[in-house]
Amino acid sequence: MTNRIWGFIKSVLLIELLIGLSVTLRNQFRPHTTVEYPRETPNLKPRFRGIPRLRKNPETGEDLCVGCLLCEKACPDDCIKVVPEKRPDGKGKQAAKFIINYERCCFCGLCVDPCPTKPLTAIYMSHDFELASESRTKFYYPMNNLYEGAQIKEYSR
Amino acid sequence: MDTELLLKVAVSAGKVMTVLLVLSGSVAYLVLLERKVIAFMQSRLGPRRVGPSGLLQPIADGLKLFLKEDLVPAKADKWVFTLAPVVVIIPAFAAFAVVPFSGESFDVFGLTITPWITDINIGVLYILGISSLGVFGIIMAGWASNSKYPLLGSLRSAAQLISYEVPLGLSIIGVLMIAGTASMVGIVEAQRETGWWFFVPQFVGLFIFFVSGMAETNRAPFDLPEAETELVAGFHTEYSGMKFSFFFLAEYANMILVGCVATTLFMGGWMRPFPSVEALAWLNFLDFVHPFWSGFFWFAAKLFLVIFAFLWIRATFPRYRYDQLMHLGWKVLLPLSIVNVLVTAVVMLLMNSGSSA
Amino acid sequence: MTVNEPASTLDTDIMEVNMGPQHPSTHGVLRLKLKIDGETVVGCEPIIGYLHRGTEKLCESLSYPMVEPITDRLDYVCAMSENLGYMGAVEKLCGISVPERADFVRVIMVELNRIASHLLWLGTHALDIGAMTVFLYCFREREMILDLFEEFCGARLTYNAFRIGGLLEDLPPGWTGRCRQFLKVYPACQKEYEDLLTKNRIWLKRTKGIGVISGEEAVEIGLTGPSLRGSGVGYDVRKAHPYSVYKRFEFDVPTGENGDTYDRYLVRMEEMRQSLRIIEQALDTLPEGPIRAKVPNWLKPLKGEVYHSVESPRGEQGFYIVSDGTDKPYRMRFRGPSFANLQALPQLCVGHLVADVVALIGTLDIVLGDVDR
Repeated sequence: MTNRIWGFIKSVLLIELLIGLSVTLRNQFRPHTTVEYPRETPNLKPRFRGIPRLRKNPETGEDLCVGCLLCEKACPDDCIKVVPEKRPDGKGKQAAKFIINYERCCFCGLCVDPCPTKPLTAIYMSHDFELASESRTKFYYPMNNLYEGAQIKEYSR
Repeated sequence: MDTELLLKVAVSAGKVMTVLLVLSGSVAYLVLLERKVIAFMQSRLGPRRVGPSGLLQPIADGLKLFLKEDLVPAKADKWVFTLAPVVVIIPAFAAFAVVPFSGESFDVFGLTITPWITDINIGVLYILGISSLGVFGIIMAGWASNSKYPLLGSLRSAAQLISYEVPLGLSIIGVLMIAGTASMVGIVEAQRETGWWFFVPQFVGLFIFFVSGMAETNRAPFDLPEAETELVAGFHTEYSGMKFSFFFLAEYANMILVGCVATTLFMGGWMRPFPSVEALAWLNFLDFVHPFWSGFFWFAAKLFLVIFAFLWIRATFPRYRYDQLMHLGWKVLLPLSIVNVLVTAVVMLLMNSGSSA
Repeated sequence: MTVNEPASTLDTDIMEVNMGPQHPSTHGVLRLKLKIDGETVVGCEPIIGYLHRGTEKLCESLSYPMVEPITDRLDYVCAMSENLGYMGAVEKLCGISVPERADFVRVIMVELNRIASHLLWLGTHALDIGAMTVFLYCFREREMILDLFEEFCGARLTYNAFRIGGLLEDLPPGWTGRCRQFLKVYPACQKEYEDLLTKNRIWLKRTKGIGVISGEEAVEIGLTGPSLRGSGVGYDVRKAHPYSVYKRFEFDVPTGENGDTYDRYLVRMEEMRQSLRIIEQALDTLPEGPIRAKVPNWLKPLKGEVYHSVESPRGEQGFYIVSDGTDKPYRMRFRGPSFANLQALPQLCVGHLVADVVALIGTLDIVLGDVDR
């Protein structure tokens, strides 16, 4: 009985509504969580998977890719196309053409797993993710655009 | 003789223009305020891009709405469709004619200009009457759109506005009884005489007025007519551009109106807190400019409080369902307001007989 | 004309309203054909297929490791569970036993994902009923979980986090500490949602007694997950057919009593707390060791078929694989919980108001990627 009376008093005094109001009021003074994206870049973690890119050997500056086609076979979207050729010095192969079609890429990272050039893989998931473009043909990235630092941003601001 | 009449008309027209302009501007900034306040409550930032920390956002919004294509659906009733927003916005602005924005008149070129457009002796009734006209526009909009969601929204709205008129009107009766007048200025003066603002003896009345006011202005948690997640946008689903902006302006103007009425009737209008305590006279610190401004300052401050409560509640509560809303209006608020009127009457009778004896 | 029968002169029509596929509260591209009498729903017909991508057929042309990114995109809100279910099915098919540490990490990830998924559900459910703020609070906390995921696997939504036979990479250094930090912060956040909703009279009015379904009916329709447990049936794949290392953890399976929207809400809220318990135990007993079993690069299972199911946040997520001995599955079939749960919607809707329909879509917690596949 006392419980019911207490419940009635609580409901007349709108206790639970006031508790709810206090929650929103308190949150007003908390630090905000917004990341103002184009102005501030989001804090990307080291393992972030952006678009796949090609890597050169940081010491010699040579292509790391050995043209083994494993990434092409591992890709579930068929977005990688590699044309291998013999190296000029006759030892092994290298990629003559390496095209990634970012229209199809799903950023899964499966192409990196089988890459045989360890510890630095020739293909790697970079931190670039701003891919917007006005034309579909621009999503076909030939080899020289795949290296680190190649401009992909088309828009400004 | 004629010049005097002409001057009167000119002064009135000037005041009307001022109120219209200030009101439109404050409506625009109310939208920004709402977005900012709710954003902060939701640990966001709100609009930030236009101008310094988003201060020019209302201008951008307005421009966008003005420049947008004005679509009329092919199967809509074109005349009614165009007329509806006008029918909604005129009463919303017209109701401000009797709101006293400050207490002190000021003299310009020998003319005494009162800080209200007019002070009619049935001011409260006038506001109730004219603000309930807006519902016609909403029904017209819903019907003329010839679309299902607007129809549902406008029917909900009509039912809601009509049922909440009743407790809204009854909640004011208590104030009118204590004040003994229905003039807006007279009510504020009465609060000076009794020494306390009417929300002290009439706290139940204020509560009912506040809740019904929220329902009248279609604010959350009573925003069923435009319940976004149910009816897309309710009665103005098919509207765009200027016509949409009229609905938008009317909604926010109505919100300010409810705030103004609550301020005037229950919170002492333009008076500073504790108007009878001389020691607090420094609260009217704007007197050094003109007493008008200190009155206006306190009016605006109280208005802000009421509107902040509106926004705060919108940010916190879920939405009622249509039948529950009716239940609340007819089975809770209406009896409560009648009881409030009766109790007020009995207490006043007892006090009067006590004082006369 | 008879005066005694006013009803005959008041002729009302039943109105047909299309809700969706573009509508603020149909969570994707669900289309509902509602038949309404005034505001009362007298008929409801869900029309699906707007997000159909033919994933089951697509899988037949992909090798086993390539299917994992596809499973990410079935139920994109809880991709970790989908990954785990698919991995479990393939490992069962090939007879691979996963190292213990990998199993533990998988369980931690899946349970974190369960919280993230329930947070998304709670946010959108509350938003549909009109409580806008809860939505943003939920996303604020979900963001913390997504940050943890990004640190572990590099993605925030389509994780592709596990590999056949274990994990690709171990937990990054300091990850467990940050995870514990989240576990410490989170209960206070959940209390905030409960303060805003659980006892709120409007919330109670909107959810109590809405969409009641009895346990028997729910089983007949094939409801699983919290939607089933809200009706009092304590079926949880984690307990009924324990997979991975769930046997080692202590947790309760919360059930409701009335089978209404409110009970399903309470069940999910409690599930989040239970997930926290599981993560805490898993972090405490996280063993050291290898993270990936020896798996041939080009996986070719023997002929055969396998069915493996896991408890995703939405219910029983099953994977049925038929292998013909090549490196590609002969047939792949996904048993999506959302698809089965959606079947309850017409039955739940009838007799309620239009406003309740959005609450009911929310309470069933469907993800259209999983319904249409």
